[in-house]
Amino acid sequence: MSSLALLLQDLSSIEDPRLVEWDWISENFWEDIVPAIQGHIYLSFVSVAIALAISLPTGVLVSRYRKAYPPVTFVTGLLYSIPSLALFGILISIPGITIGPTPVIIALVAYSLLILIRNTVAGLDAVPAETIDAARGMGLTSSQILFKVELPLALPVIVAGIRIATVTIIGIATIGAYIAGGGLGKMIFDGINRGFPTMIITGAVLATALAIVADLLLLALERYLRPWARRRRT
Amino acid sequence: MSGILDVLRRPDFFELLRQHVLLSVAALLIGIAIALPVALVVRNTALGAALAVNVGNIGRAVPSLAILALCQPFLGFGFDTALVALTALAIPPILINASTGLREVSTDVIDAARGMGHSGGQVLTLIQLPIAAPVVFAGIRTSAVQVVASATLATFIGGGGLGELIVEGTQLNDTAILLAGSFSVAVLAIITEVGFGALEKVFTPKGLKIAQKRGR
Amino acid sequence: MKNRTKLIRAIPALALALLAACGNVGDSGGSGPSSEEGGGGPTITIGSKNFTEQYVLGELYAQALEANGFNVEKKLDLGSAALADKALQNGQIDMYPEYTGTSIVEIFKQEQTPGTPEATYQKAKELYAQREPADTMLTPAPFNNTYGIFVRKQVAEENDLKTLADLAEASPKLAFVLFSEFKTRQDGYPNMQKNYPAFDFGDFVIVNSIGGPIYQGVLQGEGDAGVGFTTDSQLASDELVVMEDPKSIWPFYYPAPVVRSDVLEKSPKMEGVLNEVSASLDAETMRELNAQVDIEQEDPEDVASEYLEEKGIVD
Repeated sequence: MSSLALLLQDLSSIEDPRLVEWDWISENFWEDIVPAIQGHIYLSFVSVAIALAISLPTGVLVSRYRKAYPPVTFVTGLLYSIPSLALFGILISIPGITIGPTPVIIALVAYSLLILIRNTVAGLDAVPAETIDAARGMGLTSSQILFKVELPLALPVIVAGIRIATVTIIGIATIGAYIAGGGLGKMIFDGINRGFPTMIITGAVLATALAIVADLLLLALERYLRPWARRRRT
Repeated sequence: MSGILDVLRRPDFFELLRQHVLLSVAALLIGIAIALPVALVVRNTALGAALAVNVGNIGRAVPSLAILALCQPFLGFGFDTALVALTALAIPPILINASTGLREVSTDVIDAARGMGHSGGQVLTLIQLPIAAPVVFAGIRTSAVQVVASATLATFIGGGGLGELIVEGTQLNDTAILLAGSFSVAVLAIITEVGFGALEKVFTPKGLKIAQKRGR
Repeated sequence: MKNRTKLIRAIPALALALLAACGNVGDSGGSGPSSEEGGGGPTITIGSKNFTEQYVLGELYAQALEANGFNVEKKLDLGSAALADKALQNGQIDMYPEYTGTSIVEIFKQEQTPGTPEATYQKAKELYAQREPADTMLTPAPFNNTYGIFVRKQVAEENDLKTLADLAEASPKLAFVLFSEFKTRQDGYPNMQKNYPAFDFGDFVIVNSIGGPIYQGVLQGEGDAGVGFTTDSQLASDELVVMEDPKSIWPFYYPAPVVRSDVLEKSPKMEGVLNEVSASLDAETMRELNAQVDIEQEDPEDVASEYLEEKGIVD
């Protein structure tokens, strides 16, 4: 219970210079903090982009050929269940993959496949059959229907998936710093190593803020695309 | 391959596994003990439930490493600190699902039950809980998998667990240790996912199961 | 639905735009911008392991090279000796600071280390030169950074602990705070057990960071004994007692830059610059620099540049 005593001690001195040194933050803002944020956004963005590039076509294909859906769900579900540090470990044991951003991006992409593919399929499924028939009746080709009718109507659900994937990716990207992936996680790890709470708190708070901002932005986009939405159950 | 088995046979492997499971189970149970009562309390007020769900959503967006790391300057290193952090991580999915699950039991059903003469408490136990059960369980399942995965990170704040093997293997550049740690955590997570999935089916009332099947 | 289609088309465009904007972020996004103004010299990538002294040494060598016309890229924080060496071998980095004893035991997996600092260096140098691709271990800095096993003051008083032998006797009822590598490395805990077979700690608390957290762990009571480095400033604390080592069980660990031989051949000027930095250091100074990072929470980069200016190595 020494931790409880420590907690009480610390809570009574939140402004204690020991915990958050604002000087350090202002001194190192452009040099260390901003590059860390940039690196983190870079990792997250690239991963979401690549994941989307894989998931959208896969989702479309799988919604047409349903027999392929269970195995795809199985594989992506398996990838999703593997804890991040473990997946990083497995990836860097593969000869040719060195520590750095690459294995981190591979892992982040792998994690988001399940939710993105699942939501693409669900979104496409929700398009009413009558609408598709009407479009066909108007003489649109299959690919025209896909791009002009189905995907736009499926967009809200797909964006919902992008939202969950993005928040997850931003979170897991913090761990990527352990294998030299860069980003805000590096501040957290360095802070722990050097016993420097300011770095830990800065890194952790910024990573959280980034995730929440992304969540809110994408939520706004989702709501914009779905004006008829009622309160969703997660 | 044999190298990996050697690692698994190490005397400290079982200890690390035990720590990992203990952390996860304790965090999950305490998380349930905190989240469920809150959800029960707010079930009948729209504002309360919305508040609970929003708090839960914010909680879900917080990266696991961030919570573990943030606890460290205040609570130090060790098992206890990791437990506090993991409990905080366990709460949001359960809170969100339990709150919305209990709220969304259709008012028609509740009215009908009241009409039949059931008291508030009876409505809760006979109607709301069983109908909300699958959703609540889905939340518990999500939480369980998340906790088991995040417990891997406990090693960074001295909390033990299988993550230690992954870190050791990385530091020593020893593939056998690295893979032994990675695989054991992965297997543990998958067992948790599958196990809770099965439990979820057990707790889904028969009527709902039939309705779900028809709905497909 | 026109605006929807536009939205779909906009996403890849946005993606490309953001990618371009953030595209300049390379490796470890937090160790500061890599200098491009070192003149048209060759680019050297310097790595380091992930504890304070390594960061400081890495920065010292990096900035000295920069001041002498080299372009330097820093990849500090490569993790352990094994990882740093792997990066050296596959060309991810061109050099990093390694300890003579560590190379022999940890990298070349030899059981025995020579009995003098000089012989240790020569052996390490030889082993590096013999492998493919070859490396050159330059002249070490003149100080030894070896392990210091310490306990909390009350623990020392309660159990009357002064030497490692005393600690070994008391170990079954004590908890030892250490980092993963130390537990399995030949020159780590196994070395302690080899020399004092009585070592059998009741509990191990593994904290996967070197330095700060281990001291914190012992001071806070998570463990009773811990392992530190003799150039750590925390080791001088009143609250801790370092166990004496009459048998001198540890190898010698003198830090020296290990450079890929092919890189050194192309830029022989490096040797002089690096040697000048190494020669200027001693145990007291290193401890002082480490303290500035660990205790005063200054950035290794700043600590290094202040020091280099002071010594006139960089103006």
